[in-house]
Amino acid sequence: MKVLELKNVNKIYNSSEVKVNAVNEVSLAFEEAEFAAIVGPSGSGKTTLLNLIGGLDTPTSGEIIIAGTDLSQLKPSQLIDFRLKNIGFVFQSYNLIPVLTARENVEFIMTLQQWPEKERNERTEELLKAVGLGDRMNSRPSKLSGGQQQRVAVARALASRPKFVLADEPTANLDSKSAATLLEIMEKLNREQKITFIFSTHDPRVVKMARRVITLEDGRVISDELR
Amino acid sequence: MTATIAWKNIWRNHKRSLVVITAVTLGIISGVLLIGILEGWSKQRLQDAIYNEVSHIQIHQADFMNNEEINLTVRQPDNLIRVIDSLPGVTGWVKRTRIVSMISTPWAASGANLYGINPEAEKLVSHINQKIVPRGGRYLDAGSPSDMLISDKTAEILKLKQFIIADSTLDKLRMAKVPESLLAKLEPLKEKRFRSPVDFRNALRKAFSKKELDRYGAILMDQALDYRLRNKVQVTFSDREGNPVQGIFRVCGIYKTTNTSFDQSTLFVNADALAALYGASETLTHEIAILLNDTKDAGATAEKLIPVSTGNSVMTWKELAPDAAMMSDYMLVYYFIFIGIIMLALAFGIINTMLMAILERTKELGMLMAIGMNHRKVFSMIMLETLYLTLAGAVTGMVTGWMLAALLGRTGIHFTSWGEGFEAIGFAAKVYPVVTPAFLLITTLMVIVTAVIASIWPARKALKLNPVEALRTE
Repeated sequence: MKVLELKNVNKIYNSSEVKVNAVNEVSLAFEEAEFAAIVGPSGSGKTTLLNLIGGLDTPTSGEIIIAGTDLSQLKPSQLIDFRLKNIGFVFQSYNLIPVLTARENVEFIMTLQQWPEKERNERTEELLKAVGLGDRMNSRPSKLSGGQQQRVAVARALASRPKFVLADEPTANLDSKSAATLLEIMEKLNREQKITFIFSTHDPRVVKMARRVITLEDGRVISDELR
Repeated sequence: MTATIAWKNIWRNHKRSLVVITAVTLGIISGVLLIGILEGWSKQRLQDAIYNEVSHIQIHQADFMNNEEINLTVRQPDNLIRVIDSLPGVTGWVKRTRIVSMISTPWAASGANLYGINPEAEKLVSHINQKIVPRGGRYLDAGSPSDMLISDKTAEILKLKQFIIADSTLDKLRMAKVPESLLAKLEPLKEKRFRSPVDFRNALRKAFSKKELDRYGAILMDQALDYRLRNKVQVTFSDREGNPVQGIFRVCGIYKTTNTSFDQSTLFVNADALAALYGASETLTHEIAILLNDTKDAGATAEKLIPVSTGNSVMTWKELAPDAAMMSDYMLVYYFIFIGIIMLALAFGIINTMLMAILERTKELGMLMAIGMNHRKVFSMIMLETLYLTLAGAVTGMVTGWMLAALLGRTGIHFTSWGEGFEAIGFAAKVYPVVTPAFLLITTLMVIVTAVIASIWPARKALKLNPVEALRTE
């Protein structure tokens, strides 16, 4: 089942002197339970593409359809709600809410969606245990290592049962051991819970683990390899 | 959850939040105290004006206030008194003789309004009998026709107020625990007579250091003070035919109100004794003063008296003591000006703090919007942070300010250094702040409204952030 489809998507930045085609005629489709990596050199358009897929940026032309909804048809306020319900985000620098504990960070997404308290608690515990932080639920981000923080971010991204999780260079700030642990966890969640992960990455470890590798260059898809 | 995050957010930067909370607290405390002092002054001035000086209503012959001549007596006073007696809400009334006179002692002379009063009846409308200063003799006695009650200020003008360091003074100072070393410095001043406070103060300045004077000056002045009671005061005025009349009275007592200008222009003698001087079979009535149960009724009662006061003028306290009336009427204006200034400063402080907080948290706000926190929730979060920050300071400020005002309302604040200046314009040197619950409530509401308004700018700035750009910031 398709969870995400891009049709002839372009993103053009018009600066005063030059016109930059950051994403150029990209057409892609992602199925449920994919574990895909978008790779390419710096400036190839990975992050822009990820922002477009995540509804954080709007394409100059083309369609982005998630679960049957064309993002270009949504108003900005609808887009925020759409992101909340359908897309999980994992950022390069964790980006947890520093004043909240690990538990509260994960719970936050469900609170925004007004889940009942009991369900919130159960889901939070289930997710934090799944990422191996069952014993650090009440720690604030400042008391967690980078790897642990990123695992909380993964748990948060999964909290509202999104259609897919977008992870922008999730291992870039981690040491190799933490990166390996994080990847194993994500791979396991993908395998067991059929969660779709789409990464943008430079990290060969991520690429190695990915079952689909999309390579971008100058905003264009130059290869789309299934393994 | 938004409320929890907002609360936790304000404690991220303890120092900054505490600085803002302290600033708000101090602002509110000073506002509460300032308004409390003004309100206290206004109330005291009103009370003093009515109970010491002008009562609620006065009736004079129509031209008397412009031209205080002895022949301009109240028309048909007895008819008026009958009407006054029939009016509801009247506490009491008195008839007074009021003559502009020259007063003199062998050392000085001055001009003043000489009031001929019935000492007992006067107590019904005036508290002047309760204003006799310590060691200042007594109130007028109806059985003692030569009695004259003068003010502390008049005593000073007529050189009847003197300062003497006698052995008994030193004993009293010793009892008051003034150090012997200081008393020794008083020896050269012993038995010298200083006829003005200025002379005595100058002599003390030469003998003592500033520090010693700051500590003991007041008690030295107080203990050395001596009024020349029973001293003769000569009064001169024109009788009904325009011939000069002279009489001698003896100072029986010294009074002091909070209004120096009233004090220096007002002396009291027995009305009968005064009548004997101007040679009338009965006392002349230049003034009828009426005291009411309630100040608010003054206007309405005066309205009732006007139709029956042909040839007379009926004036309320508002016309007789316009300064007190103005202060009372303009309290609300003063309040809004002072609180307005405080709120303006508060608003800028809040805006600055919150803009800084948003600038520091740009990336985090971008993340919150990216993961799905909608505009309404981001706006509420910033607004709540502002409200919490302000309310924490406001509540602390209100409670502390109210407690301080309540405490000072009991003990009073003595503006020693400026006391004379204040009293010269009719305001007590010792003020008892008054803070009403209504004032606290209105101020709290104003603080909340200010906080809400001040939070709009930072909150809107947060909403304008583009999540993608915000996430890129470091």
